This record gives sequence, C-alpha cells and structure tokens, in this order.
Amino acid sequence: MIGQQAENPRPWPVPTTGPRAPARLLPATLPWAETNWLGIGIVSLMMLLLPWGLTLVDGGNYITHLIITFFVWGIVAQCWNLIMGVSGIYSFGQLALFQVGAFTTGVLSFSVGLSPWLSIWAAPVMAVLSSLVIGLPTLRLRGIYVVLLTLAFHELLRNWITTGPQWISAGGFGLPLVPRLGFEHVLGPQYEKVLYYYTGLVLFGLTTYAIWRILNSPIGLAFTALRDSEDYAVSHGVDPFRFKLFLFAFSAFFTGLAGGFSAHYNGSASTSLFDFGVMINLLVMIVLGGWGTFAGPIVGTAALTFLTELLRAFDLYRILALGIAMAIIAVAAPQGLVPLCGRTFHSLFGVFFEAE
Amino acid sequence: MLDALLQALYSGVLNGSVYGLMASGLTLIWGSFRMLNLAHGAVYVAGAYIAYGLLSALAWPVPVTFVLAVGGAALIGLVIQLALINPILENPGRDSASLIATLAASIVIQSAILLVFGGQTKQLPPLLDGGFKVGTTLMSYQGLVVIGTAVVCLFLMTVFLRVSRRGLAIRAISQNMDAARLMGIPIVPTFVVVMVISSALAGLAGVLLGSILFFTPAAGFTPMLMAMVVTIFGGLGSVTGTIWAAYIIGLMESFVAVFVGPSWAVSGIFLFMVLMLVIRPNGLFGLGEARRL
Repeated sequence: MIGQQAENPRPWPVPTTGPRAPARLLPATLPWAETNWLGIGIVSLMMLLLPWGLTLVDGGNYITHLIITFFVWGIVAQCWNLIMGVSGIYSFGQLALFQVGAFTTGVLSFSVGLSPWLSIWAAPVMAVLSSLVIGLPTLRLRGIYVVLLTLAFHELLRNWITTGPQWISAGGFGLPLVPRLGFEHVLGPQYEKVLYYYTGLVLFGLTTYAIWRILNSPIGLAFTALRDSEDYAVSHGVDPFRFKLFLFAFSAFFTGLAGGFSAHYNGSASTSLFDFGVMINLLVMIVLGGWGTFAGPIVGTAALTFLTELLRAFDLYRILALGIAMAIIAVAAPQGLVPLCGRTFHSLFGVFFEAE
Repeated sequence: MLDALLQALYSGVLNGSVYGLMASGLTLIWGSFRMLNLAHGAVYVAGAYIAYGLLSALAWPVPVTFVLAVGGAALIGLVIQLALINPILENPGRDSASLIATLAASIVIQSAILLVFGGQTKQLPPLLDGGFKVGTTLMSYQGLVVIGTAVVCLFLMTVFLRVSRRGLAIRAISQNMDAARLMGIPIVPTFVVVMVISSALAGLAGVLLGSILFFTPAAGFTPMLMAMVVTIFGGLGSVTGTIWAAYIIGLMESFVAVFVGPSWAVSGIFLFMVLMLVIRPNGLFGLGEARRL
C-alpha cells in the first residue's frame, strides 16, 4: 500500500493534490520499504574489495589512510549535522565530545593499562555522560546561549586537559603512545591498514544507517518540526527538551566512538585537535555539502578530505580558500552543494523524468 | 592584603573596560538585528594588526596610526555588512546563514592576517610610556589611557543612542523591527551604521589592548568569548546592562585570579555563567529574550 494512491472511499470526488487532499503516508516516510538493494549491494561490495585493491597499488596505503580519516570525520560531521543542521541547536561542543572519547580510551589503555578492545567502549559512554552534563543546563536555552555554553565547554575541556595531570595530558600535548588495536599481528603488518579500514567502515556504516533511520522516523520529523517552528511542534505534543537531550546523547555516542577509534588508529590522543581550525574544517564539511541534509555532510567530508590532500602544496592559502568558500555558500547557496546540485540536475534533466 | 586588593581592583577595571568595548558592540548588533556576530573577535585582532602594519610601514605618530587603525576596523565591518550580511538579511534562514557568514568572515580575516604578518606574537607601542606605583601595584599610564578611553567611548555611545536621531532609530528597531519598518525607518542603512560602530569599538579595543597584551592572528577568540559572556550576563540587547556587566565580570575575573588562582579565573566565570543562566536566564538587565534567535 505504501507509496501507492489510496482508493477513494468517499462518494464525492476528493482532490489528490493541493491543500485539501487527504493525508496519506508519503513514500519518503518509510524509505526502507523501497530500498534499492541492488545499488547498496554493489556499493558495499566495492567498499569491501577496495582496500585489497589498494594494497596492490603503489601509494595505496596512503589512500587507505585517507579513507579511514574520511570515515572518522564523516561520523563526526554527520553527528554534528544532526544537531546543528537538522534540529537547529547551535552547539559547538561536538569536537570536545570527540576529544572526550579519544582521551577516555587513551587514559584507560595507556595510563591504566586496559586492553584497547575494552577501553574503547568507555569512549562513547563517557561522551554520552559529558553530553548530558552539557545538555542539561544548555538545551532549555536557545541560540546564542547554546553557542556560548558549548564553546565554553570546549575551552574548559581544552584548558583542563592541557594543564591537567601527567596521566591525562603528558605535558600539554596529549597522550603520545595510545596502544593500537594490534591488527599487525593478525594478517601481518602489510595488511594492518586493511583491518583498520574494515573497522572504520563498520563504524561509519553503523552511524550512517542509524542517522538515516532517525531522520526518516517520527523522531526525525519531530526534530525538523522543532527547528522550523518550535511553537507548532510543542502544540503537537513534542517535548523539546527531551527530544533535544536524546539527540545530543545519540550523536555524542557515535562521536565518542569515532574519537576512541581515531585515538587507537593514530596511536595518540592529541590536544592539537582542540584547535579552532579543526572545528572550522568540520563546520565547512557540513556547510559545503548541505546543512541539514542527509547526504550533505558525507559529500562535504569526502570533498574536503581528498581535496585537502590535493591542495597540500598551497597549505597557507587553504584556510583562506575555505573561508571564502564558506562565505560564498552562506550568501549564494545557503542550503549547500548537495541540494544545489540536485536542483540544477532537476532543472536541466527533469524533462526526461516527468514524462513517466 | 591591601596591595592584593588594589591589584585586583586595577586589573579588574582594566579588564572591564576592554570587555565593555567588545561587548557593547556585540550587544548593539544583537539588539538591533538579532545576529550573533562571530567575526567580532577577528575585527578586534584586525584593528591591532592594522596599527602594527601602519606603524612598521609608515612610522607616523602613534595616536594618528591608532585612529587610522580604528577606521580600518570600521571599514572591515562595513565590508562584512555589505558583502555578506545585506544579501541574506531578508532570507528566511537568516539565523544560521548569518552565523556561517560571520564565521566565514572571521576565518578569512584571520588567515589573511596570518598570510601577511605570519604567526609570531606581536606587540604595539603604548600611547603613553611609563607608570607609577601605588604600594606594590604598578599602574601603567597606558592602562589608565585604556580605562579612560573606554569610559569616554561607552558614555558617548550611550548618549548617541539616547539623543541622536540615528540612535532613536536603532532603539526603535531593537524594540520591534516590523513596527520600525512600518514607521518608515530605513532598516538596512541603520544596520550598516550599527555594524560600523560595533566594528570600530572592537578595533579600538584591539588597538588599546595591543600595547598591554601580546597578540597573534587567533588572539581574538578568548576576548570574544568573554564579550559573549558579558553580553549575556548583562541581558542581551541592553547596552546599559552590558556596560555594568562588563565591569562586574572584569572585577570578578581579576579577584578570582588574585585570591583563588589565575587558572580558575576563566573557568570560574564560565561556571558562574552556567549558574546564572539556570537561575536568572534573562540576564542582569534582561529584556525577556532568552527564547529569541
């Protein structure tokens, strides 16, 4: 039934379009009912085979590393977009939550001596707890208050970690020797990156799937309603505080997990990731791809991760170019590149589809 | 004990003056067009760097250079307003677009400064050299100049808002933008004036503080954060409240730094901030705007 036109049960004609049309479930409400399994299968097969192909190519190891970096930042960008873009909470605390994850598992495995496979699970838990600590005072407020309090949390955490005791900060630079996941012993050191790739792929896939389900569920609808008109949403029984807190904790879970994975993958938890530039990089990923869309942050992260490598030679001008790109997008295409491309594609080639 | 008290009082008033200059600009923008200007910190640093560049290139007298630098900061504000804010002013998604646009402006300004001047710390010469001692507290003349200029500027701005026609327009817009528009007040030119004034104040803060503190291209971030604290503490959009809040926060910061420990100063203020938002969410002189933006 879903996606099809319902039979008209009334004896009088009922308009099928326009404001007086009867409400019915749009196909987009239940997208998993018409999933393109073939496309997903082909893409996943390619993603599964890709690292083995890359081990054969000269310099493929480095490309694998880039893809793993893309997985990590892709998770964070998607989570941040869920908060910033989809539900309109101007939180700047996402990077701090990422660092909470990284340092939690770093401290547990490096300073306490737990196995990294155990300690990495403490990362998302700790991140969720911290997100509740920020969220409880913050989320009853709006706009500028949220910006300020989350930025303050970021600064406090940076301050506390860089000046903290030896077992946290190791002299202000972060933990230099976080144990890695031990993949070099499984298939030999030359295939170590492949296993990290698979771990990253699983985390990235899980996050993307979870966010996709959330966006296309009644909860996602409630978030969009809260962003677009809070009064209207409240009048329909959405409790803003509860929903926002849930969203905060939800995105903190995956962000913390990404932080933990990144710490074990890089073998360090660095305080330099607190830099404002890292936050701006993440924000540009979201803004460039499409603020509040599902595919936007993924496309933006991919573009930024790989373009940055190509433009390595012009490193000084890179941030300037990012800033200019962000300004142009804010003024000319505030919805980002993905909706823009979609619209352009539709206006150019839409004729061919409407004939159906 | 008395010396420590005097020290805390002096540096508190000094902090408060700078916060007042920074925060009254932020609150002016917030009050009139409900925009959080994230480029404010970058304009502050840009003022200091323009003065530095002019001094090293032209070697004109210091006061002339400082006035030119404040003008330069105002010009940057004008460019931001005309190029980035005016085009999106009437868009429905103005909140997020203006947030991104001003953040983008701050990135562009900071990286341009980094390209031109490099990342080393710089310092400006003071307007007046030397100082005198009261007890063990060294009061530099420059510090007194900063305090005096800030007080005069804040006073002038309050008078401008109360007396002049343009000030009346700004106050009308901040009370009700639609009604002001219907009464024939030119909205966009008023916004431009607000942006220029606020950027000039930020540039002034940068120029004055540049001779007391060292500065780097990224040095505007923390003062902007503190200015945001002050803005919220004073009640968003209330200039009088902001000026009071600036001195209260400045004094509180220095008293905590002197009597508890310097590493507690900023953390303490943020904790205080959280408590205040829970207890009195509209700020000291709040205008009931906790739910705006």
